[in-house]
This record gives sequence, structure tokens and C-alpha cells, in this order.
Amino acid sequence: MKEDEMIICRCEEVSYEELETAAAKYKCSARELKLRTRAGMGYCGGRSCRTMVDKIAAASANDQNRTCVSLKYQPPIRPISFENLGRGR
Amino acid sequence: MNNTIIIGSGPAGLTAAVTCAENGVDVVVIDEYMIAGGRLLGQLYEEPNGSWWNGIKESTTLYEKAINLGVKFHFNTAVNNIEQSNGLWVVYTEKDTFYTSNLLLATGAAESPVPVPGWTLPGVMSVGAAQVMTNVQRVKPGERGVIIGVNVLSAVIAMELQLAGVEIACLTLPKRNRITMKAGDPRKVLDSLLHVSHMAPSPFVRYGSKLMKNDFMKKLGVNFYPKKGVKMWDIPIQLRKAVTKIYGEDEVEGVTLATINADGEVVSGSEEHIPVDFVCIAGGLYPLAELAAVAGCPFYLVEELGGYVPLHNERMETPLEGLYVAGNITGIEGAKVAAAQGTTAGLSMAHRSGIKGLDNTINDSIKMTEQTRNSAPIQFHPEIEVGRKKILQQWEAYQSTKRESICY
Repeated sequence: MKEDEMIICRCEEVSYEELETAAAKYKCSARELKLRTRAGMGYCGGRSCRTMVDKIAAASANDQNRTCVSLKYQPPIRPISFENLGRGR
Repeated sequence: MNNTIIIGSGPAGLTAAVTCAENGVDVVVIDEYMIAGGRLLGQLYEEPNGSWWNGIKESTTLYEKAINLGVKFHFNTAVNNIEQSNGLWVVYTEKDTFYTSNLLLATGAAESPVPVPGWTLPGVMSVGAAQVMTNVQRVKPGERGVIIGVNVLSAVIAMELQLAGVEIACLTLPKRNRITMKAGDPRKVLDSLLHVSHMAPSPFVRYGSKLMKNDFMKKLGVNFYPKKGVKMWDIPIQLRKAVTKIYGEDEVEGVTLATINADGEVVSGSEEHIPVDFVCIAGGLYPLAELAAVAGCPFYLVEELGGYVPLHNERMETPLEGLYVAGNITGIEGAKVAAAQGTTAGLSMAHRSGIKGLDNTINDSIKMTEQTRNSAPIQFHPEIEVGRKKILQQWEAYQSTKRESICY
């Protein structure tokens, strides 16, 4: 396996090359990089690849916002069944 | 309806629970793991004075103390959301919903991934996972492994694995790319190791570190870094080699190791195959602050503390009424500092619950945290003090903008 082909986002199967290409082309924020490639949008909620997506974006964009997290956290932050999610709300 | 809920039963959460209970405050502790202790459970190392720090023993002692004081625990319970509603904190778990006046987030840290080609093969795990398998589950992660990533944590865990009879072929760097960056740069890695070199048992490293105080010597140090690496507890530490690939058909069978120059570039043709049956990835730790983020707590990015940290003051209060933080969620440090912060957080929550006369005790506990930090033999980041000051400055800045907006 070549470096370009290695998987960064396991849930959505996004490769290093896809992220690098998008970051180089759009010089965008981590959030935009996520929306363009779907890295971090899988069922783990970005728990595995969040910091890597952040680093690739920071390396190209260079305008990291220090006062709020670059990729938003959404509840539920742990996997939960629909049945349990709806219960008692 | 509870008075105080603590999320996380590691050194910070357990100590905070004990402190609250000792002051007569009712406490519920929630943890997603099946037993108390958090990262304490994996720890087993020799102190500078020659005694052994056994994390499992430490956590059992704290847990039993908490139980005897009437603290209630919910294990195997993951919190998936928290929100503030009518002056109370609502804590959502898969099983139940809890309500509380005071909520402490003591969720600790998570490991940063380091991507390496072939890292999705079975047999590749984070170094913390290998530590838990070995020290907590008592299962060998494999017979012979390689650790990718040279830092304080990976060096300590390498030694623990060796104590358990697991062979570590070497600690080495990941190949440099846009994600690994500093972790793949021999000079940066050497830099970060120099401040802990007084801990190294090898006289070579100890003596060497004194010679490397200036940058020129550091470069020289990396340039002349022995090809076979420097041995620490008999494990080769390779700063001039990097793993370019993890290979195997259905699981890890080995790694391709290449020589790198002082800038971290691979020397072509230098690749060799090292047969191993497991690989550990050691990318360091970052504060696990997801719950503070969903609660809407303000953050600040402080590299010295390991990443984005929820704003907090020395009393471990966040800007959100009734929400507290302690331990590695506030910055990456050792278990003893986390426990000291837990004491302060526990006292602050007891104070808010109406327990009188705690002001002096709280101030003493803040000083105790500083003392613990200063006497820690290992700092995860050499500039931890700078990081702590930054977050306090941000707290002050946040408070003064808030005061101004109230005035106008």
C-alpha cells in the first residue's frame, strides 16, 4: 500500500490523497474539508480521524481559530440506538 | 435529582468524589468503563526514589474509600449528551437521564492517531490499548512488536510491555507527512526527549543530554545519532529510522523500516523488513473535551496543554454555572496532578452546595496542585507552566468582556 492510498477516515473510507488534494485545492477550514470529503461524518462521529482532518486543514489554511473547536461536536457523542435516543424526551 | 455528578472515575474524578463525600455532599460517579481507575489502571512504573507506582492499587484504594463514604457508581454507562435546563444539568446516558446542580467533567484524554500505510490491518493498536491489554486484561498484545512514535508515554509503556514478557523490537518514528509532522522529525523528537533525559537509565542518554543544550549540538546529536539507536531498558530507540509501511496479508506480519536523514527524509534503498505480530501507534494525548463542547463551554487552543481546552480558573470552574473540569480534560499532565485538581474541584462543588468555611482549604488545594506539578519527575510538555498561564489569561479576558457587556 502506498502512502497516498492509506485510509484516514475509516467510516467513510476517505484516503490521505483525497484529503490532501481537497486541502491543496481549496485551502479551506477543517469544517469545509470535512463537508467536501465526508471525512469525520461517519458513524463514529469523527472520533478516530478528527485530529488528522484538523492537522491537514491547518497545514494548508493557516488560519486556525483558537477560541472554538474547529470541528463541531454533536450529541450523541457515543453510539446509541434510536430506541434509546428517543426514550423519555 | 442529584447534588453532584462526576463523569469519569480516573484519578481526578475519584479524588473529587472522595473530597465531596468527605464534606458531606452526595455524589454520583458515571464511567463508560466497567471498573474505576481510568488511565490509572494501566500505570506501573518505578519512581525516582526506587519505589513502584502501581496504578491498579492506587485506584482500588481510592474506589474503596469512595464506597465507604457512600459515593454511588454507575459503570458501563456512557454519557452521550449534557445540557443545562432550568438551572440544572441534565446528563443523558443510554440507560437513564440524571439531573444535578453541580457537574464535574473528569473525562481525561484520548490518544492522537498517527497514520501509517497499512495501519488498518488487525494487530495495529494504539499504545494505550496495548497498555490496557497487558496491565489490566493481562493479555499479551503479541509476542513481538514495534512502537511507532517516540515520546514519554510510549517509552514508559515499552518498558511495561517488556516487564510482561513482550518483546519490543524498537521504538521508532513514523514517516514524515502532513499529519505526522513534528512526530516524524528527528530533531523535534530529540528536543522533546531532552527534558526527560534525566529519567533515562542509560548513562549515554544522561550524559548526552547535557551536551545537547544548544541547537547546534542538537543537530549534531541527530546527525551522529547511532545507527543502531540508543538503548533504554534494552529497547532500541531509533530516531534515525521510520516505519514506511506495515505489511501483512490478513493481519500484521511486519513493518518496513527505512533510514531517515536529520530532516526526516527517507534514504531510498535503506528499507529493511522487521517481522512483528503487532504494532503500537503512539501519537500522544489530547484533552477529551467532547462533553464540554456540546454543553457550549468556551474553549481555547493551547498547544502546551495538548489541544483545545475548556476555559477554566484555578478553582476548576468553567464559565458555565455549575460546570466544573478536572484532570487531563484541562491539559495533559500526570495522574498526581489530575488527583490534586480533583481535590480542588471537589471542594469548589462542596462550596457551591453551601458547605461553609472552605475558602482557605480551596486556596491550599490550589497551591498543592502547583507543588505537585513542580515536583513531577516527568512533564508531558516541557512548557506546561506556560500553557497553564495562557488558559488563566484567557479566563480573565473572558470574564472582563462578560463584565463589560453587563455594564453597557
